Amino acid sequence: MRNLLLLLTLGLFAAGAGAAGYGKQKVVYHINGDEPKQQSAALGNIQNHVNAVGRENIDIKVVLHGGGVSLLQHVKNNEDMRSKVDQLKLQGVVFNICNNTLKAKKLDYKTDLYDVAEKDVVPSGVAEIAQLQAQGYTYIKP
Amino acid sequence: MSEPDKYSDEFLSAFVDGQLAAEEKERVYLELSRDEALGRRVCELRGMRELVRAAYENPPLPSRLRRAPTIGRRAAGAAAALVLALSLALGWLLQTPAVSQQPPDQTAPAVGSAADAPPAAGVTGAPVRVVIHVSDSGRAHVAQALDEIEGLLKFYRAHHQNARVEVVINGDGLGMVRADAAPFPERIRRLQREYGNLVFAACQNTIDRLRRDRGIAARLLPGVVVIDSGVAQITRRQHQGWAYIQV
Repeated sequence: MRNLLLLLTLGLFAAGAGAAGYGKQKVVYHINGDEPKQQSAALGNIQNHVNAVGRENIDIKVVLHGGGVSLLQHVKNNEDMRSKVDQLKLQGVVFNICNNTLKAKKLDYKTDLYDVAEKDVVPSGVAEIAQLQAQGYTYIKP
Repeated sequence: MSEPDKYSDEFLSAFVDGQLAAEEKERVYLELSRDEALGRRVCELRGMRELVRAAYENPPLPSRLRRAPTIGRRAAGAAAALVLALSLALGWLLQTPAVSQQPPDQTAPAVGSAADAPPAAGVTGAPVRVVIHVSDSGRAHVAQALDEIEGLLKFYRAHHQNARVEVVINGDGLGMVRADAAPFPERIRRLQREYGNLVFAACQNTIDRLRRDRGIAARLLPGVVVIDSGVAQITRRQHQGWAYIQV
C-alpha cells in the first residue's frame, strides 16, 4: 500500500514536472555582498527564476551572511527592494540569516532587520549552504 | 567556450612535446590563457607524458606527485588506463594532510584523526565536505574569506562534525597564498596549524600563466598544495558530492 502511494506520488510529481518544462527545483541563493544595487539585482534574478520555473515547482532558500545580511537593513529604507522581498516571500521564498554574522555585527534580528522570525535565523550561513547542497539544493551565487 | 575540434589531440601532443613551430606555439599559449577546457586537455596530455615516462624510464616523480604516498595502491585497483590513474593520483594528492608539509616543529592533528574533535567528544556523522572558491585576493576580500573559512571550521568543530574543507584558489585569488603577496600569511599559518582538516590548494594553470604573462615565479606559503586546474578541481569535487561555496 505504501509502495502504491509512493508510486502515485512520484507519478504526480512527474506529471507536474512535464507540465512545467523545468521540473521541480531546489535552489539555494548565496548573498554575502553588502552593495544594495547588487543585492537588488540578485532579488530580481530570484524573481525571474521563480517566474521561469513556476512557484509551485520551486523551493528557494536565500542565505544571507557577512555583508549580505545588510540586505534586510537596506530594505527598511528602500521601498523598491522591500516590495521585491515581500513578493518573493509571498511566493514561498525563504530568507535565512546567519547567526554568526548577527553576533559579529552586533545586530538584533528583531529590531535591526526587516521581517525576520526566529526560525529564519541559522547558526552558520556557510554551513547552512553546505547542508542544503547535501540535501540536493543547487547552489547559485548571483 | 572551447571548440573541441579546433585542435586535434595530435596537434596538442606536438605542443606538449615541444615540437611546434614558435609561431604555432605562441598561438596555443594565447588560446590557453583564455580557454580553460583547452588548458585541461593540455594538462591531461602532460600528465600522461609524465606517467608514461615514470612507467618506462622510472625517473623520480615530479615533486607534486611524490607527496601522494598511496598512488600505487589506488591506481592498482583501477583498470590500468593511464588517464584514470592520473586523475586518481591528483584526487589522492589532496587527501594528503596539508600539515605534512609544515615544518616538524609544528604540532598539528592529522586529517581525519580524532584529534580534529574537541577532547571531550568524538567526531560524529557522515563527513561534510566543502570546497570554498577564492578568486580575488584584495585585502578586504581575503579577510572576509578567511573569516568565513574559520567560522565554518569552528562551527563544525563545536558540533563535533566530521568535516573536510578545501580552499581552491585560482585567477586573481592566487595572491592570497603567494609568499610575496599574501595579505594575511600568519593567519593562514595559524588556521593550518589549528585545523588538520583544512587544505589550501592553488591552481597550476594560474601559476603558469603568471610566469608566462608577467614573468613572476610564484612562491607559495608553506603547506599550500598545487592542483592542475582550479576549475577542474571544483568540478571534480562537486561530482564527488562536495558542497561548493564561492566567497
